[in-house]
Amino acid sequence: MNRAQQEAYRRDYAQAKKEGKPFFPYAIYKDHIVAILVFAGIIGMAIWQRVPVGPPVYTATSTFEPRPEWYFFFLFQMLKIFKNQNALVPVIMATFLVPNILMVLLVGTPFIDRRAERRISKRPFALSVAILVFIGMAWLTYQGETGATPTSGGAVTFTGITPGSSAAAGQTVFDTEGCTSCHMLKGAGGQVGPNLTTVGTKNLGVDWFVRHTKCPSCVTPGSQMPPFAGLTPTQLQDLGTFLNGLGTTYK
Amino acid sequence: MSTTDIGPKGPVGQVGGAVVDHIDHRTGAKTGLTWFLKRNIPGETSWFQTLGFAAMAVFGLQAVTGIVLAMYYKPDPASAYSSIQHITNDVTWGWLVRGMHKWGASAMIILVFLHMARVFIFGSYKYPRELTWVTGALLLVMVMFMGLTGYLLVWDQRAYWATVVAMNITASAPIVGPYIADVLRAGTNFNSETLARFYSIHMLVIPGGIATFIGLHLFLVSKLGIAEPPWSKRATRARRAEEASARAAARERQPQGRREVSVEPAPQSVTAEAGQ
Repeated sequence: MNRAQQEAYRRDYAQAKKEGKPFFPYAIYKDHIVAILVFAGIIGMAIWQRVPVGPPVYTATSTFEPRPEWYFFFLFQMLKIFKNQNALVPVIMATFLVPNILMVLLVGTPFIDRRAERRISKRPFALSVAILVFIGMAWLTYQGETGATPTSGGAVTFTGITPGSSAAAGQTVFDTEGCTSCHMLKGAGGQVGPNLTTVGTKNLGVDWFVRHTKCPSCVTPGSQMPPFAGLTPTQLQDLGTFLNGLGTTYK
Repeated sequence: MSTTDIGPKGPVGQVGGAVVDHIDHRTGAKTGLTWFLKRNIPGETSWFQTLGFAAMAVFGLQAVTGIVLAMYYKPDPASAYSSIQHITNDVTWGWLVRGMHKWGASAMIILVFLHMARVFIFGSYKYPRELTWVTGALLLVMVMFMGLTGYLLVWDQRAYWATVVAMNITASAPIVGPYIADVLRAGTNFNSETLARFYSIHMLVIPGGIATFIGLHLFLVSKLGIAEPPWSKRATRARRAEEASARAAARERQPQGRREVSVEPAPQSVTAEAGQ
């Protein structure tokens, strides 16, 4: 907006104000009607949809879902798109670059779009950005809502695991510690973390899995996986044996 | 206008009036409030322009329900979970207050995003309201952080692990990420101090920031005035008048047009219409 357009806007707005109505009561009454409706909606939802108390932290079942509130699903879903699988889509895109670029664009909107035109019908670019952002966020939120249902473990079987062996115990640890809520084994499980069906073919060694489970970000910088330092050395060893054989010994 | 102008005031009215005058003389409170309430706004405002007020009202509701919850909540890993159970199951209407706080958080996020969409579609962020948008965008970020920090306080399985992952994400940001995560977690790992820190951030730090920025946002809104919907009848009329006078001026610059203007006073009628 150049100086003349700014002057013209100020003149036009002063005229609009002169021909206008007082804030009280003409704006205030509308505000209060909407606020009262919103309050009624909140109280109604609080009565209709009681907020439950979830299972406490560190229970024996320890099947956990690392799911945020629904309004973070669009960010959470991005973790599944950028999974550190290759150099083109590093996980830093989802954890740092994309959110921060979006935030800078959001704060900077009035300094990016400096045109005088305010009618949305004459701002096709702004309208397309608004529609794309809305569809993108709605889609990611929907995907985060429906796509993240963790499949309970135990359904997946591997050949080569004898009952009572260390690997069998490792598979039990994998199922009961809720690993499937992020990791996929033979098509069952979450998509937040890497698919582990053939992770053994990487020849990382049992010790690597033990260290990674205790402190993921120490071994793989940038990893979002929570540390499972609470597992016993035997459990870690069993889990490592199980994972290290996936795709090689256990298929 | 007011009925007190008819006849003498009663003793209560006299004392009340004296107190109001005393305060107004020293603070300008009455003058300021009268200016705030009686200032003119454009004649045609849309129902979509009520969303900001609704978001602010929900912030007030969150503050009140939050204060009530804080009376029963214990920010300590050993008793946080049982205090949530106590609020939900034992405290009179505790389940309702907790439900309102939880649903109020979702409502606030929705209202803030709808309000932002309204401002974007109306082009209200343009001159002279750029800084109003900036304060609003920062409010949006603070509201999101409110959701993040409040989520942990229920201290159940899902909240705990979701926050562990969120902190891992924070720590993975380049350069400052690990330091920010250490400050938020009160250490390099999730520990017993983390809950108290999130409690303090959720209860004191961000609400203070939100209240401050709502103040700034409101100051700018009232100083600069409520934006007029760009398709309002008055704006359309003014725009047509402007275009007509521009056409008339362009016509006058042409040799043939000069004769026409001298015959019929077209530009004058346009100015008269615009001045109505």
